[in-house]
Amino acid sequence: MKVLVLTNMAPFVWGGAEELTHHLVVNLRLRGLEAEAFRIPFKFEPYERLVDEMFICKSLRLRNVDLVIALKFPAYLVPFENKVFWLLHQYRQAYDLWDAKQSNIPDTDRGRQVRRLIIENDNTCFSSRTKIYVNSKVTASRLKRYNGFDSEVLHPPLNDPELFSNVNDNGYIIAPGRVNGMKRQWLIVDAMRYLPRDTRLIVAGPPDSEEDATRLRRIIAEWNIEDRVKLDLRLIPRRELAELVGRSRCVAYAPVDEDSVSYVAMESFQCCKPVATTSDSGGVLHLVEHEHSGCVAQPDAKAFAQALAYLLENPERARKMGQAGHEQWRSRGINWPTTIDKLLAGRR
Amino acid sequence: MRIGLVSSAVPLIQGGGRFIVDWLAPKLIEAGHQVETIWIPQTDDPETLFQQMLAFRLIDLNDSCDRIITFRPPAHVIPHHNKIVWFIHHFRAFYDLWQTEYCAVPNTEYWKSFRRTLMAADTKALNEARKVYTNSAVVGRRLKQFNGIDSEVLYPPVMQPERYFSVGYSDSVVMICRFEHHKRQHLAVEAMKYVKTPVRLHIAGMSSGEEEKYVHLLRKTVMQHRLANRVTLDYRWISESEKISLLSSALAAAYVPLDEDSYGYPTVEAALASKCTITTSDAGGVREFVSDGVCGVITAADPRSLAEAFDRLWSNRKHAGELGSGARARVDELKISWADVVRRLTG
Repeated sequence: MKVLVLTNMAPFVWGGAEELTHHLVVNLRLRGLEAEAFRIPFKFEPYERLVDEMFICKSLRLRNVDLVIALKFPAYLVPFENKVFWLLHQYRQAYDLWDAKQSNIPDTDRGRQVRRLIIENDNTCFSSRTKIYVNSKVTASRLKRYNGFDSEVLHPPLNDPELFSNVNDNGYIIAPGRVNGMKRQWLIVDAMRYLPRDTRLIVAGPPDSEEDATRLRRIIAEWNIEDRVKLDLRLIPRRELAELVGRSRCVAYAPVDEDSVSYVAMESFQCCKPVATTSDSGGVLHLVEHEHSGCVAQPDAKAFAQALAYLLENPERARKMGQAGHEQWRSRGINWPTTIDKLLAGRR
Repeated sequence: MRIGLVSSAVPLIQGGGRFIVDWLAPKLIEAGHQVETIWIPQTDDPETLFQQMLAFRLIDLNDSCDRIITFRPPAHVIPHHNKIVWFIHHFRAFYDLWQTEYCAVPNTEYWKSFRRTLMAADTKALNEARKVYTNSAVVGRRLKQFNGIDSEVLYPPVMQPERYFSVGYSDSVVMICRFEHHKRQHLAVEAMKYVKTPVRLHIAGMSSGEEEKYVHLLRKTVMQHRLANRVTLDYRWISESEKISLLSSALAAAYVPLDEDSYGYPTVEAALASKCTITTSDAGGVREFVSDGVCGVITAADPRSLAEAFDRLWSNRKHAGELGSGARARVDELKISWADVVRRLTG
């Protein structure tokens, strides 16, 4: 069988979705199928481009393909009979971000028209009796709420679980992942001022912008907590990251309303480390259970500091929580072989 | 420079149109550029061809790429402020193959008008390019004839030319390309019925599923004429290392396709191993590389003539060696090198 994975791309941008696409193709091939990914360029500024982008995808044609696995808007609009959706996200600025008034589409006559066109295209495309998987409950509930379609959650698995293990407990906190305002490393750094001087936090990940990096440095300077916080602001090679997580006491991760269970939480539990997170972190909370596999705090620095303090002061408790998180995560069956089974079962 | 390599493709089919892009990318990166490769799906269905072309036309890479290099059509219609076209062929059914047996479109007013519109669109898009290169003189001539476009030939090199070498000249003529009817492996197999020397033939390659019958037919010919001890049919994808090793000791290469657009990678691979190519007078672009008696042998397209050529080289290894050296020199003469390609595409 010949499988084409269809998604969108911005040239020279490589992130989580690109890694997922790559590993999806690799795992389809491991299953003995012919597979490759085509990534259609996508540009959403100015917002009028969205109309063109949808037209582009709807106008392309495929041959020599038995099954399409479509991941992103608007690539999933490419016409094809036998298609399975695995939605990483819709165009959120036409949906929840529109409601939150954080859209690049203006609330004008033309803006509303463009938004309606996106919704109509989505609805037509999803109503084709095709199986829809989504990457998280959040994506599923948005799809239900805005478009009225049911879907099944299929969490993207960890791409390289073999790298991650519980190496040791060196007692430090690690905050991995991309650094930006929404990921709220600034809150975690801010929390460190409430913790003892011998506490150690490593922030490990690439900042989205220089401002994101500066913001963290400013907080550190303001509270004079250079001794407590180490900033390792770069794209950490996977092996090195696995080592950093594997030797930590616990993982701190406090994003604003995350879509998915997050790679950070999966990597953490793969290493048997408990996770400190916040009550508004969205999909992360589907994996992290308060006082069972980690600590869920209110999203303010002082409350978060208390959660961290608990894990630091009770190493044995932390170890058990990490173990519980690991078992719970393993029991979810979120791995590549299961994922491929499901995707293939979705075809006609 | 941030360079976007953009081409159309049919998913999951390998071939020259994919190789030219995939092999170029690492060379540009070595030269210090950032490279993004973009494949856009495409079919040759005439009914939707204009709609598909319009989709390509709307793609906007102006902000994200400092330069784009386009290859297979209709990627050349993508607008860009700094576009280089490395043109590898037209939609041939509407160009040089119009109203031949290879053209499924009827000769009606509608399709005649369609053809004119397509040509006008191609011409407009090609005129927007900063520079147009072609992969062969044949394609260059067609661009001039149909679109009035001047271009330069930029021969595509093979993946790792530096890996090829020669250890001498054995008994075997080798033929390494896809098993396809128009590649005409059958001419070479049938030639083996007529050879008078102990010359051997080694054919290796894969095919698309549809050509299995052709391979079966070749096997039958080998059996029927008791050629199995002198003809090897290696029906599989051989690795680069195997190919290089096979060529290193070959007597010569045979490449006898019917009216090919370009000289063909097999010709250059053989030449890099200092082996000449035996080809036929109707092989098209191959003759841009091979001149008879200098760096190869050109025969009539029939088994007996090929057999004579095989025998001649077997009987005169010194001559095989001279032609092999001639082929090697021809690679440099035509400037088939990545350094040259990178220089001209980034200049």
